[in-house]
Amino acid sequence: MGGLAHYIEAEGIPTVIISLVREHTDRMKPPRGLAVPFELGRPFGAANEPEFQRRVLLHALKLLERTDGPILDDFPDTAPGTSQDLEGWTCPVNLAPPKTDLSDRERFALDLKQEISLLRPWYEESVRNQNGRRMNGLTEFDPNEIVDFLTQFLETPDMDSIIEGIHVGRAVKLTSDDLKYFYYQAALARPSAVTDTQIGSWFYGETLAGKLFLRLKQVMAAQDDEVHKAIARTNLVPHHQTHQTLD
Amino acid sequence: MVHLRDFPKKARDTLVNQDLPEYRQTDCVSGPALRERRIALITTAGLHRREDHVFSPGVGEYRIIPDDTDMNDLIMSHVSTNFDRTGFHQDFNLVFPFERLRELEDQGEIGSVAKFHYAFMGATLPTAQEAVSKDVAELLKQDNVDGVVLAGV
Repeated sequence: MGGLAHYIEAEGIPTVIISLVREHTDRMKPPRGLAVPFELGRPFGAANEPEFQRRVLLHALKLLERTDGPILDDFPDTAPGTSQDLEGWTCPVNLAPPKTDLSDRERFALDLKQEISLLRPWYEESVRNQNGRRMNGLTEFDPNEIVDFLTQFLETPDMDSIIEGIHVGRAVKLTSDDLKYFYYQAALARPSAVTDTQIGSWFYGETLAGKLFLRLKQVMAAQDDEVHKAIARTNLVPHHQTHQTLD
Repeated sequence: MVHLRDFPKKARDTLVNQDLPEYRQTDCVSGPALRERRIALITTAGLHRREDHVFSPGVGEYRIIPDDTDMNDLIMSHVSTNFDRTGFHQDFNLVFPFERLRELEDQGEIGSVAKFHYAFMGATLPTAQEAVSKDVAELLKQDNVDGVVLAGV
């Protein structure tokens, strides 16, 4: 992002960046930066906190009037919401302990579809609560179709892609993201403060779909194809869930 | 929390110490008072309209987000798993504060909101984005923008 600021400012347009990784901004020295002490993924602090978001935005905007760059200012306040506020989140659905015998593809797929059917009412409620807003939709596929594709991929990783013109590894990434977003949206049916780690611990630790992701990571890491390997390294399981196992 | 300080040390060091291009100083461009400026947002969260193509890893590319877009229908195709998405799921303004910008316009803090806003995907080499960022700069000029807020995730 620091690079973009250099390029655009050099074309004559004043820029300011909101920086979540202060060290990067300090090294890249864009014309103006505002370092913010927030979670990665939350550049304006907290969801549904318009006054706070506006304060962050206005702080950054005011830096546009300065020309003594490179400027790296620090936003002084932490985001609203404390860890105490976040302790109470639980998924609205109690799922059966995930089965980990993934060797029977048909059984595993059926169990996954059963899990999806349990979550679907919560997903639909969540969509209603958010006035129709849906997080999934990177691909055209329904969660059940995605399960069929991903479980097939586990058995035959050299299969054809489900998306025309897209490498099968990328198709795995896009469809698995869609499946995860379906689960996340279902889990967010009840409005509450929740962290990515909390919801990740539920998804990767307590759902069959999480086990599917862990297995996909194993299978893709074992392929010779560099696209598969790259996706396995960082694009399926976040750092804060790498302790999860299939056992 | 997915705060950088809470990353495992190895992952944190990898992220913080990654190779980055070095830039010579870019002089700050001056402009009118903030209350007279036309402001655009640029996000590197890999946001786009549902009907747009998803972002591709490693490719210097951008998507246009017109001001009359239904912002509730923006989706995120960023490849990284290592930042929070639950906040964006609950409120797009957390990543792309379009409504906040409108409010600042209404309050007279800024002059106006641009007609077009832009999205890139981070996790892309900055140098791969050089050519297209110049294209975006040209579009910003055509929109008479004289202030840009860039926000990553």
